[in-house]
Amino acid sequence: MPAVVKKFSPKTLGHSLRAGVSACAVALLLVSCQGADTPATSSTSSPATNKIAEPAGLASPQRLRLMSAEQYTNTLAGIFGPDLKFDTRFPPLVRTDGLLGNGASSAGVSEAQLEQYQRTASLVAAEVTNPTHRTFLIPCQPADETAADAACASKFLGSVGRLLYRHPLPQDQLAPLVKDAGEVATRFKDFYSGISYVLEGMLMSPEMLLIAEVAEPDAKTPGGQQLAAYSLATRLSLFLWNAGPDSRLLDAAEHGELKTPEGRARVVDMMLASPRLEAGVRAFFDDMFGFDDFATLSKDPETYPFFTGATAADAREQTLRTVVDHVINQNADYRDLFTTRKTFMSTALAPVYGVPTGTGWTPYEFPADSPRVGLLSQVSFLAVHSHPGRSSPTRRGKALREILLCQIVPRPPANVDFSAVENPKSTIKTQRERVAAHLTNPVCAGCHKITDPIGLALENFDGAGRFRTTERGEAIDASGSLDGHEFKDAVGLAKALYDAPQLTSCLVERTASYGLGGSLSDQTKPLLPYLSQRFASEGYRFKSLLRDIALSTAFSEVAKGGTEVRAALNSSTPSANK
Amino acid sequence: MRTHFSMMAAAAALIFGVSAHAEGVTNRTIGYVLTNKSWATYQTPDGKAECPKGFNDGPREQFKALFPESGKKRTLAETQFAREADVWFPSETEPLGADGKPLPYIDVSGKTALGMNLDGKVGPNDFTSPEGEPGIDNQLYRAVGCATGFRGPEGAYTFFQNDYMQRYIFNRILIEITDVDDLVNDNDVTVTTYRGLNPLLTSANGKDFIPGGTQRADERWGKRYIHSFKGKIVNGVLTTEPGVTKIPYADTFDTNVDLTLMQARFKLKLTPTSAEGLIGTYVDLKEWHHHFAVNWTSHHASYGQLSVPSITRAMARLADAYPDPATGKNTAISAALAMKFSQAYIVHTDPKKKAVASAQKKNQVADAQ
Repeated sequence: MPAVVKKFSPKTLGHSLRAGVSACAVALLLVSCQGADTPATSSTSSPATNKIAEPAGLASPQRLRLMSAEQYTNTLAGIFGPDLKFDTRFPPLVRTDGLLGNGASSAGVSEAQLEQYQRTASLVAAEVTNPTHRTFLIPCQPADETAADAACASKFLGSVGRLLYRHPLPQDQLAPLVKDAGEVATRFKDFYSGISYVLEGMLMSPEMLLIAEVAEPDAKTPGGQQLAAYSLATRLSLFLWNAGPDSRLLDAAEHGELKTPEGRARVVDMMLASPRLEAGVRAFFDDMFGFDDFATLSKDPETYPFFTGATAADAREQTLRTVVDHVINQNADYRDLFTTRKTFMSTALAPVYGVPTGTGWTPYEFPADSPRVGLLSQVSFLAVHSHPGRSSPTRRGKALREILLCQIVPRPPANVDFSAVENPKSTIKTQRERVAAHLTNPVCAGCHKITDPIGLALENFDGAGRFRTTERGEAIDASGSLDGHEFKDAVGLAKALYDAPQLTSCLVERTASYGLGGSLSDQTKPLLPYLSQRFASEGYRFKSLLRDIALSTAFSEVAKGGTEVRAALNSSTPSANK
Repeated sequence: MRTHFSMMAAAAALIFGVSAHAEGVTNRTIGYVLTNKSWATYQTPDGKAECPKGFNDGPREQFKALFPESGKKRTLAETQFAREADVWFPSETEPLGADGKPLPYIDVSGKTALGMNLDGKVGPNDFTSPEGEPGIDNQLYRAVGCATGFRGPEGAYTFFQNDYMQRYIFNRILIEITDVDDLVNDNDVTVTTYRGLNPLLTSANGKDFIPGGTQRADERWGKRYIHSFKGKIVNGVLTTEPGVTKIPYADTFDTNVDLTLMQARFKLKLTPTSAEGLIGTYVDLKEWHHHFAVNWTSHHASYGQLSVPSITRAMARLADAYPDPATGKNTAISAALAMKFSQAYIVHTDPKKKAVASAQKKNQVADAQ
């Protein structure tokens, strides 16, 4: 293990655990680049696309990232199985350049967060070592359950530690852990108390929670640097599986497989074929679509009596199921997500759509003459980007531009006068009339011209996503426009969005930054045209895009010169972002 | 045309886009799920019109009347056990109270009742509907209308039979109207009853039942609840020809029973989102008593002031149909169920094996006279 990360051993007793965490965090503040020479990597092209070459000299920033709650959960589920009962109420990350995932590379850890990590770690350690789970999660039995057993402790902690820390534990790191487990076992006359104690410390240690990428010189590029094998394995795993690497991936790193183009391609293809890809794809789109907004979504029950908490949860799930089925199972064109009639239906959602359904989740296809087409007409988009009691052409238009086209819509000025549109005694009947007021004020018109004509095309769907033809007795005019393309309804909007070149370039940008672990640097941005070209040549297949990114040189090469990566473990500064 | 499809076919239909619009009739079919039911009782605010003599006593009051605290020693067998036995095997006459007189029981004496003219006649004991229709046959109302538990919506029996129906799935009742060309006027439609398998769809505030839910028809275990009726819709009101049907009828958990509705016929005001009205019917005295005694313990009966034996005796006294060939005593009583339905999409599971019991047993009409 060529890393310079200072090895951390959870201290044995008392307050030393927290002290150990802080000490290790300090050690992680600066991560330099060194390691054994290994061959450079390059992407593997299919015959149809091998004429498109990745620009030379691209390298991504070397990152220090905070593990998300979902990554933590997925990692533990991969190690211990999905039946462990614990919760990971980790604080949310800060959305950066459109993704929460980007915020992971500029996150801090406060004392309060540490408490939550400790709580989760304690629950997990207790679950793993309880009589129900220990018999199959701990691969050996102590000679005497009331005493220490260094051999068994070493076997378990060594194997689990490799998966938790994402690299094998050298002897000088493993031995203190075994020693700690032995001391606690002796004190409490219980082997499993010792294991639980040490495991709790490992589960909240910086080596677990902070993903510190380690670089090493790239022999093929004089002066260049590349991710060390275990760091590359971790980056791949977080990108494609939203979890730490499994044993097979670590084996590939250990045996140098990731350092050859053929070996890396073989591993990436294995990962893309794995069922774990679904978790990775779900996590990415959940992040990109801003579905964390569901946590605060509420609708007026008097206005939308059919919209319940179950409806909201299923709306999120419906879109994710649609996406996963489309881009993984069907391996279909990404753009078709916005024109497809196919989705999935649940009992909680069916009343909103006004359709019958089966038991549980059922495949469903809207008829060809249905006003529902694509993700924009799903409840997730329509309800999240609306007010609690009414629809919002502005919010919907803004969301489309920012989430799907990667454009930035400026915030309204601080002194904006909302009275014209919020007067409850207003005689305004339709949202079209309401937002027309925006256009009469030059201060408002600048931005509303780029949002409202989009959102107005979705006015046949109310604030909860239910279809309607009238609003307050007035027939709804759902015509609109997107960047010069005019249409008469949501179906037309879907087609215009399908044809918008930014739709695919935005996905490329978001996916690339997600894969590279943070916002794209100027050094990395030249990667985007290359990826977009390949994406187009591959028929906009998302799995191909994932593969291209994972096999790109920029994915494994890191910026030379010992890029500093910083993590703020400042107990007095809850969100000490860079 | 009815659209029956198996679960596989259902999935395929959903995938390939069977048309299903937001509300109303789809493929000439509309379904409804029962959300509220009660034995129809005509009520005035103070009850003076229908129950001028007041309301009936329940088990506690009757016990006090039968066994006043006079210092007399009585055994359990003479008191509690005797009363419990009377619940299950009611005597033909009311027991004598401490005053030597039979326990009083108050029938409805008003002239107005909800219900339908089941026998096509206007008899001396018949009621008149609130709309003025004479010949209303609802002697069950005469028997129970002055028992507070049957009054709505606060009556304990009325409240709980709805509460359990709404909370538990066993007695989910569906009606599906097929061959519908017009939900306002259509002279030939078919109404089929099913047991449903899904919870009711409630509003976000949890208080109201809303249309648009999906109900799977139980065509495997619930075949005995599947019955068809021919009917017509006039000015938005559905009426059907009489037929026999069976409905699941549980008023408390784990007390599932079936209730046979003889010569049942619907009269429901239809909208695309709801159906509300009556089922006029005859109910068998023994079955009704069994259902009532099983569902309603002395504990519940006490709170609702419902004396199972006294009500049973009153029903036997007022029974007006299906005379026993041997004794000449009527074995059934006219009744009406007030019902509210919400529109629901009914998904069928087994088109080939479905067994629709014929509801067109017109000979039963003759039997009842």
